[in-house]
Amino acid sequence: MIFKSRRTFIKHSFLTSVIFVTCAGELFGAVTPMRTIALVHKDLFPDSGMAPNIDDINASYYLNSILNHSRVTDETKKFIRNGAEWLNEESAGEYNKAYSKLSASQRQKILKKISDTRWGKNWLDTIMTYLLEGMLGDPVYGSNIAKSGWLWLNHKPGLPRPVKALL
Amino acid sequence: MAKPQAWIAKTGKGTSMKYDICIIGSGAGGAPIAYELANAGYKVLVLEKGSNYKEEDFTKDELAVSRRGLYTPLLKDEHHVINERSEDGTVTRYDGKEYNWSFWNGSMVGGSSNLMSGYFHRMKPDDFRLRSKYGQIDGANIVDWPISYDDLEPYYTKVEEVVGVSGDAIKHRFLESRSTKNFPYPMLEVNAVTKWFDSACKSLGYESIPTPRAILPHNTLGRKSCSYSNFCGSYGCATGAKGSARAALLQKCDAKVVSDAFVYKLDSDEKRVTRVHYYDKELKSYTVEAKIFVLSAQAIESSRLLLNSKNIHFPNGLANNNGEVGKNLIFSAGGSGEGRIRFESLTIKQQKELMQAGLFFNRSLQDWYEYEDKDKKYKGGTIDFLFEHANIISRAKREIYDNNGALIWGEELQKKIHKNITTSRVLTFEVFNDWLPTDYCSVTIDKKVKDKYGVNVGAINLYSHPHDVKVGEYLAEKAKVVLENMGAEEISVNISTSPPPNLVAGGCRFGIDSKSSVLDSNCKAHELSNLYVTDASFMPTGGSVPYTWTIYANSFRVADAILAGLKS
Repeated sequence: MIFKSRRTFIKHSFLTSVIFVTCAGELFGAVTPMRTIALVHKDLFPDSGMAPNIDDINASYYLNSILNHSRVTDETKKFIRNGAEWLNEESAGEYNKAYSKLSASQRQKILKKISDTRWGKNWLDTIMTYLLEGMLGDPVYGSNIAKSGWLWLNHKPGLPRPVKALL
Repeated sequence: MAKPQAWIAKTGKGTSMKYDICIIGSGAGGAPIAYELANAGYKVLVLEKGSNYKEEDFTKDELAVSRRGLYTPLLKDEHHVINERSEDGTVTRYDGKEYNWSFWNGSMVGGSSNLMSGYFHRMKPDDFRLRSKYGQIDGANIVDWPISYDDLEPYYTKVEEVVGVSGDAIKHRFLESRSTKNFPYPMLEVNAVTKWFDSACKSLGYESIPTPRAILPHNTLGRKSCSYSNFCGSYGCATGAKGSARAALLQKCDAKVVSDAFVYKLDSDEKRVTRVHYYDKELKSYTVEAKIFVLSAQAIESSRLLLNSKNIHFPNGLANNNGEVGKNLIFSAGGSGEGRIRFESLTIKQQKELMQAGLFFNRSLQDWYEYEDKDKKYKGGTIDFLFEHANIISRAKREIYDNNGALIWGEELQKKIHKNITTSRVLTFEVFNDWLPTDYCSVTIDKKVKDKYGVNVGAINLYSHPHDVKVGEYLAEKAKVVLENMGAEEISVNISTSPPPNLVAGGCRFGIDSKSSVLDSNCKAHELSNLYVTDASFMPTGGSVPYTWTIYANSFRVADAILAGLKS
């Protein structure tokens, strides 16, 4: 399926700018990539009670720091944003709704569907990687709040720990 | 001996400095020269492209060090072009920036020795005469070294003492001869699981060897002991226990180290190098004059610098009138494997032993350094065993795929991460065997691509001889048997033709014949009276061990040769 909107951007802030979700020329809504990804975070790493939740991880905050990181390539940053847009387009194509408007089971079906595509697998891997970085990186980065990720896995960090984040 | 004088003079076009010795690159190849020459009273300048980190700067920040590549250049600024040749002769070109293919290691004062794990093995006597002992192999350019193990032995011993190597020289079939009975520093503390390993090896008839490490077990040499932080390889050492070129040598001498200095050209006349040119961080150019120049910028970059330093006397690049510079690049062949030891098969006591953090594993096998297969003798190699790296993000990340390669997420993923990390541990092994030198593995200059300095980048022409994988697979099968005997599960092996960027050598072979080598037996360029190359570039073959100890030892040997020349 080809979406006309795939490479059309409205450039403001990288992840807070609105993207218009369209399919076959029809408008299905306006969303921000960050809100979409925040929901994907919860769908990938749900509040199960057996692991740190997304708020403990502070996943969105961490991802935002990655999108401004001096040592993360522009290609990666662009791919994160594009993937959010493509996910919404897949949602619109399948259910005529933006991702955030889907039910939980519909969202899981969409995630499963894109995970079987090359771009979708790569994008979910990328999102998951930065989520794990946020969960298990040093709290000096503003995530892994109260060492919740380390405590979950009985992880003892190496010493000395950093006193300043590399951004 | 009159004490030499150094001077720094301001010129109209910038600052020109003059030293007795100018060393390009501050890692294991350059630092011993700096240490010996500076301690002998000579004025030594070391130019290092990377930044200057000290013990207090080294933290165990996995995000910065292992995920964001703190100690390596950004590929958008500096990268290589890789021309990979397959067995059928087709060549595929990869731009390192586009493919995120990095050959950088530790770009910092002390080089990648800061980040090594410090698994130190000496090369064996037969490694110095591979051609004579095992003969030529079709498609390979195997030659004997111009020196023998006996020539290097005193310097291996010197490294043990000066850089600091801890271990226990137990007798085994392939133990090389030693001029001292044992290591000067006792073994580091090891995890109790090593007993299981020793027991498994004993039952299999294998000889388990304590792995020597370039790490101090106690305070000595003006450095602190190992803190058993559980994060060694890939990280700088915060105590100075690890025998990095910086901690062990550069911080123990008066050599002047200029960091953030990228050398882009060497000038010469017909017989001598006359000066080097380097850029600082702001791309301001400087010139250094010296009596002797030592190049040790890492194998690929040293060849690149020589090839980029053309002049009327050396139209093909410095020291390259015979066209040998950049040829016969080698890596360490082999690969790795692993198995998971789970709680389910262990007693409570054993579970606690398995999860002991910080203590080293430190076990190696060299039973097959030479082996026979179908009545033919082969040069084999070394297998080092170690626990999976403690980096928690990478350990969690590996869990996001199932056995079929499909992504998993949700509670299924959470359970998998938690179970595998809290109730099991992965024991890994690394295989080291010879990467045979060939015509197709070399360094040249890419004519199109330039780095941020405007200098043409190195092209790495990659080819792995099929023999390399054959030997690696033979060794890996032996390692697998040990893991099986220990009760490990999910055993996997990855022997491939992938070149490890931290184990690279060759490009400026040393040899007796000036037509077929770049350097003489003292690592001085055949064609230039005052240029030495002392990183791993000189190695015609690499042995079947990690290179660092041999680089250190050879550099100390060359330092003696330079000193002898200066005194005479």
